[in-house]
Amino acid sequence: MSTRVGVGTKILGAAAFVSLGALAVFALVVAPPDERQGDAQRLMYVHVPAAWLAYLAFFVTAVASVLWLVPRTRSTTWDLLAGASAEIGVVFTGLTLVLGSLWGRPTWGTWWEWDARVTTTAVLFFLYLGYLALRRTGATAQERGTRCAIAALIAFVDVPIVHFSVTWWETLHQEATVFNRDLDVQFEGFWMPFTLIFAVFAFTLLYAFLVMVRLRLAELDEGREERQLEEAIAERVAVTV
Amino acid sequence: MDDNWGYVVAGYVITIAVLSAYGGWMWFRLRRARRADLDH
Repeated sequence: MSTRVGVGTKILGAAAFVSLGALAVFALVVAPPDERQGDAQRLMYVHVPAAWLAYLAFFVTAVASVLWLVPRTRSTTWDLLAGASAEIGVVFTGLTLVLGSLWGRPTWGTWWEWDARVTTTAVLFFLYLGYLALRRTGATAQERGTRCAIAALIAFVDVPIVHFSVTWWETLHQEATVFNRDLDVQFEGFWMPFTLIFAVFAFTLLYAFLVMVRLRLAELDEGREERQLEEAIAERVAVTV
Repeated sequence: MDDNWGYVVAGYVITIAVLSAYGGWMWFRLRRARRADLDH
């Protein structure tokens, strides 16, 4: 099995790197400061795409878990993809919480608030941290895959709760803004919405790159474990014969 | 300059640091896997 990542992955990595560089320029230089929040609003260009990416990553984990659970489509790749995507989701959920806290301090006047959106996001972070811990528990590949797929689907229930928490409960966190015409908070000019859409695009490229590299690593680890097991069995057989 | 730039800079620095650390960790593990494969 080749240990190298493919050309497509490298191109994706380069595209993500260039896009993120361009995003830094758009977000920190080109986009204007918000009329009410001032420059603190520039944190939106990393906070929102990080949260979007976490949703996307956990959605991919859920789909891959379903594909593992259905006997007709069961393949080790789905199990490994679920794990790879969940790990990236956890990184970006953690980032979302930290960036939200940094944004909350100048706008809400507090680093942390037990509001519905923030709390359910923290729950999401710990749920998937638990899922990653579960992946490390000893079992056969079949047992681990099934156990983790069920856990992933249970954890995914929290994703719509996080998303709709701002409409279901009274929260300090503002409601969805981009497609919400009723909200009194609106984007100004061209650069603000463009930068946000570009940020989501750049982070999605980054996700695609990271998930491909992480999946490759997971496949290599899986192959090495199988090889070590075969060697151990062969050694044992040689001793007994 | 707006007083809030400190929070903005901290946010972007943390984002870059986290992504670099995660990317670096994967690169290190890929290299290790490649070495193990060559040794095998």
